[in-house]
Amino acid sequence: MVDPSVEIAGLRLTSPLLLASGTVGYGPEYDGLVDFGKVGAIVTKTVTPEPRAGNAPPRLAETRGGMLNSIGLENVGLERFLSDKLSEAAKLPTRVIASVAGKSATEFANLCGAIGERDETAGLELNISCPNVERARLPLWADPAGVAEVVSAARRATAKPLFLKLSPNAADVLSVAEAGEKAGADALVVGNTLPGMRIDVETRAPMLGNRFGGLSGPALKPVNLALVWRLSAGVGIPIVGSGGIERTEDALEYLLAGATAFQVGTAIFRTPSVVGRIIDGLAQRAATDGINSLTGYTGLAKEVETPCQRTRAD
Amino acid sequence: MPSATSLLLACRPQTPFDSAEPGQFVHVDTGRERAFRRPFSVAGLTDDGAVELLIELRGEGTRTLAELPVGSSLAMMGPLGNGFRLPPAGSHAAVVAGGIGVAGVRHLVQRLESAGVDTTVYVGARTADALLHGVLPRPSDARVATDDGSAGMRGTVCDLFATGAGALAPDTTVYGCGPRPMLDTLAAVAARSHLACQVSLEEMMACGVGACRGCVVPTVDGYRTVCKDGPVFDASMLVAAERTMEVARG
Repeated sequence: MVDPSVEIAGLRLTSPLLLASGTVGYGPEYDGLVDFGKVGAIVTKTVTPEPRAGNAPPRLAETRGGMLNSIGLENVGLERFLSDKLSEAAKLPTRVIASVAGKSATEFANLCGAIGERDETAGLELNISCPNVERARLPLWADPAGVAEVVSAARRATAKPLFLKLSPNAADVLSVAEAGEKAGADALVVGNTLPGMRIDVETRAPMLGNRFGGLSGPALKPVNLALVWRLSAGVGIPIVGSGGIERTEDALEYLLAGATAFQVGTAIFRTPSVVGRIIDGLAQRAATDGINSLTGYTGLAKEVETPCQRTRAD
Repeated sequence: MPSATSLLLACRPQTPFDSAEPGQFVHVDTGRERAFRRPFSVAGLTDDGAVELLIELRGEGTRTLAELPVGSSLAMMGPLGNGFRLPPAGSHAAVVAGGIGVAGVRHLVQRLESAGVDTTVYVGARTADALLHGVLPRPSDARVATDDGSAGMRGTVCDLFATGAGALAPDTTVYGCGPRPMLDTLAAVAARSHLACQVSLEEMMACGVGACRGCVVPTVDGYRTVCKDGPVFDASMLVAAERTMEVARG
């Protein structure tokens, strides 16, 4: 059996599978349902400086091939995260990456400093990309200068690995990624949800209380997969692929496109046991393929001629 | 079938449920076409360890379940959530169910029955065909109401309950399950009569275990999850849905 452990952003993780922020709560909610021994790290619910009540319900809608959420970063706030949630999460047999979001670079830095100094914290994920929170001027996820400022401030506040979670909604994601890399991010998470909505044809009203929500699930996968392909050619830091992974083959596609690790989120709602199946499936596949580490798959698709290129060469 | 648009399923878990509190639910996978599982109240536990679900054929998820051949396997998590609290010994109970809300109180009525609690049951539906009191113990004792008057009193189950609420013993605990507007009305009637009231809510859920915060309802203590904090709440905790929407949008 192939050892599924990977090294990313200076962290040695038992597997390349991370559980995506927002889907796994603070971790213990899924105790007994998810095989945490096969999870490289959980990414917690995003923490903000103060507690947040979140958006007005309804907050969920199903779509063809996925779902919409407009939770609005409901969370317990920094103080309770530090006093309760972080140490409870750390009892699980996996690593803990804390997702953080602030309204300013200073807030991001304060969150990273306070959470990063705790031994339980393996790393921090900078959530610059939540589609459910308004920002006055240009959204942060589309603003390379704003992102550079946030990442630099976070970098000064902690020595722990920084994962920058990008939005597929930015017109120029590469510029945002490059700004993040230059400012000191250790890895990119590619990426968050896409904005979307549904309307109830009976009531003629938007199904979500916040009208718009983030689209996740299989429908998102081709979008973020293409971004991983493009960004992995343009940046030097490792990429964590995320969006619509629910099977071994989905995860493998992200690795082949250039990801070093990947996140699973929406899929655990329907099938918490998918975690074990994906990792076991990858390890078996690697054994068959004669690849002795899962990182051996990273970017392999770029070395293969596409059918189209072959035709042209002929 | 208990009615034209519902079905009683018996599911035998691989790991038998030791127990399920009345009002708890199971989270059922209805296939990969749908991102979310579907929450169903545990409508009863049989002596041989089966979990009974009373399911209204409402959408694609429930139709998928209805079309499963006998003997099929289902992925099911549970029992989940906080159920009904039984009334103090020697006191009275009133159970009020609208439409498929009977599913949420059937196990409760069974437990009240076996505990010997003096219980009055009120069941409502749009029409006589849709009435589900037939799946309850002693169905002929249930008081019924239909919107079109095709069985029992013409009106809603809350109208029916309100006509006799004043005559209920002051130590009566009122239990409700049904559509949210019905439960808000029921809560108001119970409050007017100074009766304790617990209601079981339904919301679309993603995780079912309190992680995603998707199924929240507004309460006097802020947003609470239906899956983990509920599905049963003290009616006095709840804030009517329209009011918070105004505040949130205002």
